[in-house]
Amino acid sequence: MPSRRAEMKNKRSLFAVPYVVWMALFVVIPILIMVWYAFTTAESGGTLDNFAQMGTYASVFLRSFRLAAVATLVCLLIGYPVSYWMAREGAGFQRVAMALIMLPMWMNFLLRTYSWMSILENNGLLNQLFRNIGLISLVNRLTGSELQYFPMIGTSGAVVLGMVYNYLPFMILPVYSVIVKLDHSLLEAAQDLGANSARVFRKVILPLSLPGVLSGVTMVFVPSVSTFAISRLLGGGTQMMLGDLIEQQFLGGAYNPHLGAAISLVMMVIVVVCMVVMNHFGEGEEQAVML
Amino acid sequence: MRKQSRFGSRLLIGLVFLFLYAPILLLIVFSFNAGDSSAVWRGFSLHWYAQLFQNRIIMESVYMTLLVSLLATVISTAAGTFAAVGLYSLSRRKREALMTVNNIPMMNADIVTGVSLCLFFVAFFQGWGVFAKWFNGIQGAVALPTRLTLGLGTLLLAHIAFDIPYVILNVAPKLRQMDKNLLDAAQDLGCTWMQAFWKVALPEIKPGIVSGALIAFTMSIDDFVISYFTAGSSSSTLAMTIYGMTKRRITPEINAVSTLLFLSVLTLLVITNVREARLEKRNAKDFSPAPAKPRPAAVEKAAQWMGSPTGRWAQRGLAALCVAVFAIVVSGLANATTSRPVVNVCSLGEYIDTDLINQFEEETGIRVNYQTAESNEAIYSLLKSGGADYDVVVTSDYMIAQFIEEDMVEPLDYGNIPNFERIDERFRNLPYDPENQFTVPYTWGTLGIIYNTNVVSEEITSWSALYDDKYAGNVLLINNSRDALGEALLYLGYSVNTTDEAEIRQAFDLIASANRRGVFQGKASDEVFQKMEGGNAAIATYYAGDYLSMLDNQADGVELAYVIPEEGSNWFVDAMCVLKDAPHKDAAEQWINFIASTEANLANMDYIGYASPNREALEKYPAYYEELYAEELDMELYEIMAAPAEVLERCESYLVLPAETRALYNELWVQLGT
Repeated sequence: MPSRRAEMKNKRSLFAVPYVVWMALFVVIPILIMVWYAFTTAESGGTLDNFAQMGTYASVFLRSFRLAAVATLVCLLIGYPVSYWMAREGAGFQRVAMALIMLPMWMNFLLRTYSWMSILENNGLLNQLFRNIGLISLVNRLTGSELQYFPMIGTSGAVVLGMVYNYLPFMILPVYSVIVKLDHSLLEAAQDLGANSARVFRKVILPLSLPGVLSGVTMVFVPSVSTFAISRLLGGGTQMMLGDLIEQQFLGGAYNPHLGAAISLVMMVIVVVCMVVMNHFGEGEEQAVML
Repeated sequence: MRKQSRFGSRLLIGLVFLFLYAPILLLIVFSFNAGDSSAVWRGFSLHWYAQLFQNRIIMESVYMTLLVSLLATVISTAAGTFAAVGLYSLSRRKREALMTVNNIPMMNADIVTGVSLCLFFVAFFQGWGVFAKWFNGIQGAVALPTRLTLGLGTLLLAHIAFDIPYVILNVAPKLRQMDKNLLDAAQDLGCTWMQAFWKVALPEIKPGIVSGALIAFTMSIDDFVISYFTAGSSSSTLAMTIYGMTKRRITPEINAVSTLLFLSVLTLLVITNVREARLEKRNAKDFSPAPAKPRPAAVEKAAQWMGSPTGRWAQRGLAALCVAVFAIVVSGLANATTSRPVVNVCSLGEYIDTDLINQFEEETGIRVNYQTAESNEAIYSLLKSGGADYDVVVTSDYMIAQFIEEDMVEPLDYGNIPNFERIDERFRNLPYDPENQFTVPYTWGTLGIIYNTNVVSEEITSWSALYDDKYAGNVLLINNSRDALGEALLYLGYSVNTTDEAEIRQAFDLIASANRRGVFQGKASDEVFQKMEGGNAAIATYYAGDYLSMLDNQADGVELAYVIPEEGSNWFVDAMCVLKDAPHKDAAEQWINFIASTEANLANMDYIGYASPNREALEKYPAYYEELYAEELDMELYEIMAAPAEVLERCESYLVLPAETRALYNELWVQLGT
C-alpha cells in the first residue's frame, strides 16, 4: 500500500512539471537574456563596458533610492498609525475602511497621477486656490519675492507625493492585516504584568507587527524605486530616475538595450540585496520576540 | 479620555481618505465638465459620456484590457492551482527551491520583469525567424510565418507569467491547512487521483483559488509597466492608452470611462458589503480563516491582503464580474476573428484628422490601426526593439535617411500612388531620399519658440530665452535629442548637422547646466499642448503647426506667440514610408495615396495646422478656410504654417548624422538629468 501511495503522490507531483517548465521559460530565461545583454554591446560580445559607464549614472541611482526611501518612510509614518487605529475600530467600520482603501486600486494609477498633475500645475487648482485667497500675494509681501505661483509640479516633492499617494494602500494593507490578527490575550497579559500602554505597544505590538511592516516596506519601496510614469508626469522628466533611464533605452529617445539591461540588472541586484538583508534582520527580531 | 483619542484617530483616518479620494473626486467632477479642461469648470454636461462610446481608441483599449485580464486570470488560476498541488506533493527541499523562483516576479520591480520579457520575446522571434525560414526551405507542405511580433499573444503570456505566482501564493496556504491524509484516503477508497483532486481537494482549497483569481485579476487590470514593454504596437490596454494621452491633451472621455469603471466597482462593493453584513448578523459566526503562520515578509505580500476580511467581499464580487465580462469577451472574440484587411500606421505625435481614417475605412474596407509615437527617436527604438508591427511609418527627414541607410524601408511602387504627382517639386528628391524611391512627403514646417506673452513681457528673439534663469521653472525642454541639441547648437552659432564632438558637447553643457539650475520645468513632447494652452509653462519649443492648434485652445489669460529666433532654426519634412517586409504593402500604398490626395491634405492642414507638400492644397487652402469658417484666413498665421522662402532660407534641415555622432547624441541625452 505505501508504494501505491507514493506512486499517487508522484503522479500528483507531475502537476508541478509544466509549471517548472513555464518558470524556466518565462522567469529564468528572460532574466538570463537580460544578463547576457548587460554583458555585451551592439559591437562586441562579452564586455564590462556597460558597467564601466555606471559611474555616470550614480546620481540617478542615488536620487531614485533617496526618493523611494523618503516615500517609503512617509508611507510608514502615515500607514502604521492608520492601520493601528483601524484595527481598534468595530468590524463594520473596518470592513468599510478596508474596502475604501482597496477601491482606488481599481482605478488606473496613471489617471490618479494625472489628476494630481492638474492639481499641482503652475496654473493648476491649488495655485488658483492660493491666488484667489490671496496667499501668493501675502507670501510675496512678506518675503519680497515676486511669485506668480508656487512651483510644485516638476519638483522632487511632487514625485514623492505621487509615490506616497499611489503606494500608501500597499503599506496599510499588510500592516493592518497583521495587527488585526494579533492575539489579544498577549496584550492583556502584558497589561496584567504591569506594562503601561506605551510599553505594551513598544514591547509587544510593534515587534509582532514587524512582518507586516517589512512586507509593506517592500511593496512600497520596490515600485517606487523603479517608477517612470510618476516621475515623468509629476517630475517632468528632467530629474531622471532609474525607471526613466531604463525606459529611455528600450522604448524612449536613446536606444541602447545593452546599457538598459545593465542598469536594470544593477538595480535588481541592489534591491534584492536590500530586501534579503532587511528580511533577515526582520526575522531575527521576530525570533527574539518569540523567545 | 478614551473617547477623545478615538475622535483624534478617526479624524486622521478621515484625512487619509480625503487624501486618497480627492484626486478621484476631481476626475469624476471633471468628467461632467462642459469644457475640455481638467482645471477650469465650464458647466455641467454629459457630453463626454456620449462621446466616449464614439471613441474607438478608448473603447478598443477597454475591451483589450478586459480581454487580457480575464483570459490571464482564468488561465493563471487554473495553471496556478495545478502547480500549487504539484508543488505541494514535492519534497520540502525541492518545494522551497521552486517557491523561491516563484517569488522572483513578485520581488522584482515591474520594469525589470517587463524589460526581461521583452528581450526574451524578441530573442525568441529572431530564433523563430531563422528556424521558420529553414523549415519552409526544406519542405513545401506547411508554410510557417517567418515574422512574429509583439502583440496580444505576448501581452497575454506576460500577464499569465506575473499572475501565476499570486495564485500559487493564495492556494498554497489552503493546501497546507488541508489534512494531508484526505487525498490518500480518497484514493484508498477507490478514487482515481483526478477524482480525488476534483472531489476532495478542490472544495477544501476553493477560498484560496477564488482569492488568488481575484488578486490576479486586480493585478492584470492595474498593470501598466509590464504591458507597456510586452504589448508591442497593435494591442493597447487602457493603461497604455491613458499613458499615451497624458503626454498630450487627455480627453475628458477618459475621465468618463474611469468614472463608469469606478462606479461599477463601487456598486459591486456596496452590494457585497451589505450582503456580508446581513450574513454575519444571521449566523454571527466567525468565518475568518485561521491565522497563518508568519512567513517571510516578501512572500506574505499578496496573501495577506486576501486573508483579511476584504477577501470575503472580493470572492462574491468576482463571480458577478466574471459573468458580466464573459459576455463582452465572447462577443469581442467573435468580432476579432472576422478578418478584415488591415494597415498598421505609426505616426509622430497627434498628427492626423481622425475623420480621414474613418473616410478611408469606409471607402476601401481596410481597417486602419493608427498608433502614435513620441518622437523620431522613439519610433526608431520601437522598430529596433522588435515591438512594432507597422506597415506605414510617418517620420522626419533625417530619421528616414537613417532608415534607408539601415535598410529598414521598402521601395515604393509609385504606380500605385498616382497622387504623388501632386506633390510640389520643392519636396521631391530631397537629400534624405535623393532619388525619391522610398517616401511620399506628409507635411513640412519649422521649429520655433512658443511663449505666453502675458507672462514673458519682452519679445523673444533668440534661443537664449530657453537657458535664461529669468524664466526658471517656466521653460519646457523639447523631449528629443535632435531638436534639443539642435537649438543649443544654433544658439552657439554652429550648424545643426555638425559632427564636431567638441561643439556638440558644448551644446549639451549649455542644456545640462540650465537643467541643473532648474530652468526647465520638464521635458515635453506633446505634453506641450496641455502645458502651454493652460498657462502652466511660459516658454517651449515646438513646431509651427502645433502652435496654430494651440491658438484655438488657449485658456483665459494665455496669449501665445510663435517666433523663429534670429539665429535661425530647423525646417523639416515629415514623410511616409513603408517598412521592409511590411505584411500589408498594398494596403499601405493605398493609404499613402489617399493621404497624398488634395482633399485629404486640405482637411489635414486645417486639422493639425501643418503645411502640406501638395501643390494644389497649398494654393487652395486660403479659399478652403474661407468656405469652411466664413471668414478670411489670417495671412500672418498662414505664413507661420507655410513659411515663405525667405524664412526657410534662415533655416537648416537636419541631415542624417554619422553613426558615431548619433551614438554621442544618445549618450549625452541619457546623461541629461543625471
